[in-house]
Amino acid sequence: MSGLWPLTSRELKKWIRNPTFFITGLIQPIFWIALFGSALDITKFFEGPEGSLAASKILNGAPNYITYIVGGVLTTMGLFTAMFSGTQIIWDRRLGPMGRFLSSPIRRSSIVFSKIISSVIRILPQAAILVIAAYFIPNGLKFPHGFTILDALIMATAITLIAFIFSSIFSVIATRMTNMQSIFGIVNLVNLPLMFVSYAMFSKQMMASWLGNIAQYNPVSWSAEAIRTVIIYGNLTPSQWLQVEQWLGALAALAFGLLILTAILAEREIRD
Amino acid sequence: MTGEIIIQAKNLTKIYNGKIRAVSDLNLEVKEGEIYGLAGPNGAGKTTTINMLITRIKPSEGTATVGGYDIIKDSLEVRKLIGIVPQDFTADEDLTGRENLFMVSQFYDVPKSHAREISERLLKLVDLEDAADRLVRTYSGGMRKRLELILGLVHEPKILFLDEPTLGLDVQTRAQMWNYVKDIRNKMKITIILTSHYLEEIDELADRVSIIDHGKIIITGTPQELKASLKGDIVNLTLSDEKSMEVMKTIQGVLEITETGPNSLRIKVENADKSLPDIVNFISHHGLSITQLTVQKPSLEEVFLEYTGRTIREAEGGEDARKLAMNVRRVRR
Repeated sequence: MSGLWPLTSRELKKWIRNPTFFITGLIQPIFWIALFGSALDITKFFEGPEGSLAASKILNGAPNYITYIVGGVLTTMGLFTAMFSGTQIIWDRRLGPMGRFLSSPIRRSSIVFSKIISSVIRILPQAAILVIAAYFIPNGLKFPHGFTILDALIMATAITLIAFIFSSIFSVIATRMTNMQSIFGIVNLVNLPLMFVSYAMFSKQMMASWLGNIAQYNPVSWSAEAIRTVIIYGNLTPSQWLQVEQWLGALAALAFGLLILTAILAEREIRD
Repeated sequence: MTGEIIIQAKNLTKIYNGKIRAVSDLNLEVKEGEIYGLAGPNGAGKTTTINMLITRIKPSEGTATVGGYDIIKDSLEVRKLIGIVPQDFTADEDLTGRENLFMVSQFYDVPKSHAREISERLLKLVDLEDAADRLVRTYSGGMRKRLELILGLVHEPKILFLDEPTLGLDVQTRAQMWNYVKDIRNKMKITIILTSHYLEEIDELADRVSIIDHGKIIITGTPQELKASLKGDIVNLTLSDEKSMEVMKTIQGVLEITETGPNSLRIKVENADKSLPDIVNFISHHGLSITQLTVQKPSLEEVFLEYTGRTIREAEGGEDARKLAMNVRRVRR
């Protein structure tokens, strides 16, 4: 009697059935990569062979800015989509279904986990489209050392973990909220800081040193860097592997901690 | 029909914010198979009582058993046993009626083929089979109420809680809902707890009723008993000839006779159904004929007036009651 599957399939049905939601979700990644990739690209100011050497240095060896930024945009997209899973809980409370869920013999945490799982699932096709779009735009994503299934799995893992982490944080926040404005306020307060106090768009070398130091503790950085390393270097050296494992390990540990916390808090705190 | 006791509440109390006593020392017993009505004005504590019994909120004091399970200790078992039709809409507007039914049936682990079969039967029962595959967002208010009614039944519960099933519906749709509720009771052999502030609805549907006001049960009985306790159906009649008024007092069950006009009498009897034949027989036996005859039965409205000292409209219109209802609603959020 967990209720997890019927609730998750409900969310996915609603997603697929809402054409605006579905299509904008698919167009969004294309916009993001084209806009961020062009607008924030500062390497265009570097000229000549010396310039391209300097550019490659601040881009951690990436052949161009879009290749550098793909890991960051994928992560940010996961972050932004996940932050809104809390709003779904508030809608259910305001429109009535929550009353039905709470009086059914289902696990109360299933209500929250169905939102988290569905938001993770929603992000994956968006991520795939983003990578494809980045690959086909002019002077876009390049895989200097090829692209393997393993690389794809590492990317998917990082995005899944990021989506899980942020959708559980925001779902827990929403468990007792009734006001839509409050959750939007919190989302707006933290989304841009989370994005820019990280290595999602810029490398550490490009940041003020204090900012760069804070950014290394941001999970957004861990995911962005892990994806980036895989894209730029392809076949990783043992030390690069270790680094990627550390980033993914930290993300997994955080996700696991949040899983436990969400389970406990959702069971106890969710209200009508 | 009168079965074992299936719900028993003992000193059930709910205090909001340490001071608002929404329900206070409430005791009640519901028998298996009956339709039990909780009648009273808005803010009387009906919904709070229901919410405690369905384990949606915890009582501040006292407890209750539902189907033998304690609502505090075995809340999960209680939830498996009961079906709920809350005051508010709970269906997901972005799914179809059938999908909503199916989702709820999965909450109760109803096997899929069985769920399909029950859904079909229930949709037919409330005449929604044609709309079953439309999104709920396109339903009218009456259709949504009907869907809510069967959403509480997909797992074939032993007990159904109906909280204000016809609130906000027009008169025609309300009468239609009554028929559905009667159908459900007859076909599914289920115990129903019904709250309403429409007293005629309780009168129409309930086998037994408790009148509740200010969080307390004022009186319990069958609607007939309660009305009979007022001592007085009124028979108005006009005779073709004026005669033998005093003699009529000897008819069994006649309480009081007053003359209301030339040849017109107002006879107060315990029960008009029983006394009317006697009266008619008596009159024809004395060679008189009746030109006009009306029977006036007391309604639950009058019962409410008798026991609370005010009409249910006054109770609802009163500033205090409205404030209390609003406060309770606010803290419940």
